[in-house]
Formats: sequence, C-alpha cells, structure tokens
Amino acid sequence: MNRRAFASFVLPSVSVMTFLMVIPLATTVWLSLTGLILRDLDSAPFVGLQNYREVLTDPAFWSATRFTLVFVGVTVPAEMLLGMVFALLLDRVRRFRSIYLAAILLPFIVTPVVGTLLFRNLFSRGGLLSWVIEVISGEPFVVDGSNVRFLIILHAIWHVTPFAFVAIFAGLQTLPEERLEAASMDGARFWDSFVHVTLPHLKSVLFFVAIISIMDSYRVFDSVFVFAGNRFDNSHTLSVYNSVVALDAMIGRLGKGHAIAILTIVGIFAALIPFLVRSYKEQVAERT
Amino acid sequence: MSRAKSLLRPLGVHAALVVVVVWSVLPLLWTFQTSIKFTRDVAARIPVFWGYDTTAAAYRAYWFDDQGVNMWHVLLAVLVSSTVTAGFLLIGKRASKPWIFNLLAAVSVAASLYFLGSTWETSDQFEFLINSIIVTVATIVVSIGIGLLGGYGLARYSGRSGAVILITALAFRALPRFAFILPFFIIAKSLGLLDSRAIIVLALVAVNQPFTIWMLRTFFLEVPKELEEAAMMDGATRLQAFIRVVIPTMKPGIIATSLFTLLLAYNEFLFVRVLAPTNWTLPVGIVSLAGGESSKGITEAAAAAVSMTLPIVIVIILFQKHLVKGLGSGAVKG
Repeated sequence: MNRRAFASFVLPSVSVMTFLMVIPLATTVWLSLTGLILRDLDSAPFVGLQNYREVLTDPAFWSATRFTLVFVGVTVPAEMLLGMVFALLLDRVRRFRSIYLAAILLPFIVTPVVGTLLFRNLFSRGGLLSWVIEVISGEPFVVDGSNVRFLIILHAIWHVTPFAFVAIFAGLQTLPEERLEAASMDGARFWDSFVHVTLPHLKSVLFFVAIISIMDSYRVFDSVFVFAGNRFDNSHTLSVYNSVVALDAMIGRLGKGHAIAILTIVGIFAALIPFLVRSYKEQVAERT
Repeated sequence: MSRAKSLLRPLGVHAALVVVVVWSVLPLLWTFQTSIKFTRDVAARIPVFWGYDTTAAAYRAYWFDDQGVNMWHVLLAVLVSSTVTAGFLLIGKRASKPWIFNLLAAVSVAASLYFLGSTWETSDQFEFLINSIIVTVATIVVSIGIGLLGGYGLARYSGRSGAVILITALAFRALPRFAFILPFFIIAKSLGLLDSRAIIVLALVAVNQPFTIWMLRTFFLEVPKELEEAAMMDGATRLQAFIRVVIPTMKPGIIATSLFTLLLAYNEFLFVRVLAPTNWTLPVGIVSLAGGESSKGITEAAAAAVSMTLPIVIVIILFQKHLVKGLGSGAVKG
C-alpha cells in the first residue's frame, strides 16, 4: 500500500483521535494552569503552577496514590495467578468445557457498578458472606472504613480474572501437544514441564496481560467510586480523588482537577515508557 | 499408576473447576435470590436459602411507575418477543440472505420495546434502557466503521508512520478518563450538546478507537494480501477490493471487536454521569438507585442488577467463541 492510500484509510481514525483525544488532552494541560471552577466556566484566570503545588501538598492526593499502588500491586498479580490456575484446570478437561467457560467469563461481562452491588449484597446485613464471617468470627460484620479496601480489591480480582484467564487459555491452545506429552499432572513432572515448557511459551501473553491490566487497574474508577465514593475517604484511588475534587466538592475545582489528571498521566507513563519504546522498536523491526 | 488414581485425577480437576464456577457465579446468584425475596426475608439475620416466598415486586418497582402492573403479563410479553427474535435469528442462520432476518430480529426487538413502553406506565429506568441500547449500537457502528478503515491501512502499510500511530494509540489506551472528560464537558456545554446521546457516543468512540484499530489490525494481518491483489488485478480499486473481498472474510474479527465495544459502551459510567445530567443510561440509573440502604432499596437494586446483566449474558453466550478467539488472537500476537 502506498503512502497516499494509507493516509486516506487512516484519516477517519486519526482525526477522531486527534480531535477527541489529543486536543482535549492539550486543553487539560492548559486548564491545569488556571483557576477554573465548575460554577463559573467563563473565566479561567491563569495561576501558573499553583494547582500543582496544592495537589502535591494535599494529604488526600498522597493517600490516593498509595491506595492506587496497593490496588495495582495486589490486583494484577492475583488476577494473573488465578487466571493461570483457571486456564490450566480448564485445559485439562474436554467434557462440560463450554459450560465452565461461560461461567468463568461471567464476572468479566458484569457491569462494574453492578458488580459492586453484587458484592455489597453478599457482605451487607442479611448477606451470605457477612453471615459466614459472623459465624466464624462471632462478631457481626459491617462494611466500614477499615474493611472497604478489602472489598474493593476482592471485587476487582473477581472482575478482571476472566480477562487474564481467557488470554492465557487461548495461549495454551497454541502450545503443541508433543511438547507436553512427557508431562502429566502428577507432582514434580507437572511442575517441571510447567516451568520449562508452558511458562516460556506464554511469556508474550503474560506480558500483554500484565501491561493491559496495569493500565486498567491504575485508572480504576467505577467500582471504587460506588464502594467508597462519599463515605470512605481513605479508600479513594487517584481517579476517584480526581472526581471528588473536580466534580463533587461544593465548588468543583476544575483547575485543580486537571492538575491531578496530568499528575496521574505522568505517573502511568513513568512506568510505561520502557514498554512503549520496546513496542515501537518491535513495530519498526517488523517493517524492515 | 494405579487405576483408581487415574480415575480420580479428572474428578479432582472437575471438583476444582466447580469451585471456580462457584467463585464466578455466586455473587450474581445471591443477588438474583435477593431480587425475588420479600423484604422480611432479605433482612433476616440468618440468610434464608430455601423455601422462601417469591415476588416480582422488586422488578415491578424498578421498571414501572404504575405499581398495579401484572408481572405475569409482562413476563409473557417478554417471552413472546424473545421467541420471535430468536426465531428470526435461527432462520437467518440457514437462509441465503441472512441479513434480511437479522434486520427483522432487530425490528422485532424495537417493536417489543415500543409495545412495552406504550402498554404500561414505565419508569425512568425504561428510558435509560432505551438510551443504553441506542448509545451502545451507535458506538459499535461508528467505532467499527472507522476502525475497519484504520485497521486495514495499518495492517497493509509498511512505512514508519504506521508504527508511530500504533504506539501513540497504545499510549492513549493507558490514559484515565479524566485526561479528556473535563474538556469534553466544556466543549459539550458550549456546543449545547450536553445531555445528548451524541456526545456520549462521540466520547466512547474516541476512547475506544485505540483498542479498535489494534484489534482489527490483528485480524487483517491474518487475511492474505493475495486476496485483494487478485481483485485489483481484475480492475477493482483498492477501496472496492477492500469492501467486496476483504471485509467479507473479516466476520469473526468484526464480531469479536463489536463484543468488546458493546461491553465498553453498555458498562460506561463516568462519561454518562458527567456529560448527561439527566439523560442517563442504565449504569448511572442503577447507582442513583442503590444509594439507599433500606431493605426495599436492596431488593430493587438487586432486581436492577439482574435486569441489566441478563441481556448481556445472553449476547455473550451466543457469541462466546468469538470473544475467546478475539482475546486470544489479540493476546498471542499483540
């Protein structure tokens, strides 16, 4: 395909991304330097780095940063581990496979805000799991500021595990049978073949899952907002903190909100740039 | 190895898988139970598992303003319309021109919704359902339409600018919603588009575009170049070859990408909450409803959760293979 044909084919996509992502992003950078508030969108006085100074000295920002890192640090490894276990199990059976598959996929398609409702139902008064906990611990279980983080993370693991599972399961299907022939489920031999055959084969899949999951859990909003929203300030992630500052507070400080958005972006890119550079080199190498 | 042991192993795997299934479906099953209980059983200190009286009151409260609606009639209407729709889809699978029957299925869904809305006094949530459907369908059509062009170009062009676009798109995939949403709000407000479905569709198409072009490109890479080259030898332009020869081979890729787009649009919460002060879709409606902690609020929220999840479960079960294949191919080659 020549350059001109390429340009006309990608034009719609590129213009959508330019007008609806690049330009809004640039606007966000500019607005983060102003004192814009939600109540009065007509005046945006330039305040320089004032918003950034304010955010960086706000304890709520650091609390949100800490919880976001904990959230990513727990959710992503747990999701990948469970996804791997589920995929290895399903790979062993033929009978009932599509039924198991449908059931395992279910959490992935449940709307996140609905998923939080389901978990609240299990853990609220009269709920199944709050009763189980009460029977075991002898004390009534109430969702409060000290355990809501646990619920948020548990729900996130439940919700995202099917994604890791499907990717890993699809990767296992491309593993040639012969290479596993010697291996079986029992003891050391299974472990050997897993470490020396299966894991290396899945390397690029696991890398892909890890990158996508880190992106998605870093910016998590919906479920945390519903769980913690206005009630549990200590369990805000960066996106929820951003929404509280920009939209929910009495005046809606959009300028400060934009500064938070920019700092959030700087954070994720600090982690992602080596990966993006690597992907770019791969893409260029493919073309020569 | 003893025979008993070799018999036990697959059983052990199945047992473990049953645990996995329970972990996956228990939350939804429990909520379904809650949605059909009377409030006295919901608030019981020791959960009631069996033998409780059931009621559709929570569903009535969620979907209708008129609390005298006979839910058996509603159930009957829903069953009839789903049977008709499923019938069209099944015939379409074997017919020589399936698109006629797929269109008829879509018409029957629209007609059923119109019938439900005009026969009974429905609540705001019914409006939100209609909004959800319109926003989701429009987002899929626009996303896939421009994504097909872009994905094809990126799969066939070998210049460096292709790599730049792909990596930029990947970087945009990482951005949180708050990177764009406040400018969207300001733009929408100045254009008078606030509270319209169009602005939500635009926003969703934009944030979905990086994913769409990556995934469709992966599928295009699997289509042999010789296919369109042969057509172009016969005198077709590239665009004609693309539409008549390449697109028809892309059905699995289009379905898989559409499913992910469907999940994105149907589940979206933040964009709708910010860009549409009143003209909501289902997720925002559910959150506004779930604020209350009273037992009545709990059953209604449970009915809402089940109502919202059921359609998507049916769609995904129908297209399960495509979903797995789509994620698989994206993951293995991406």
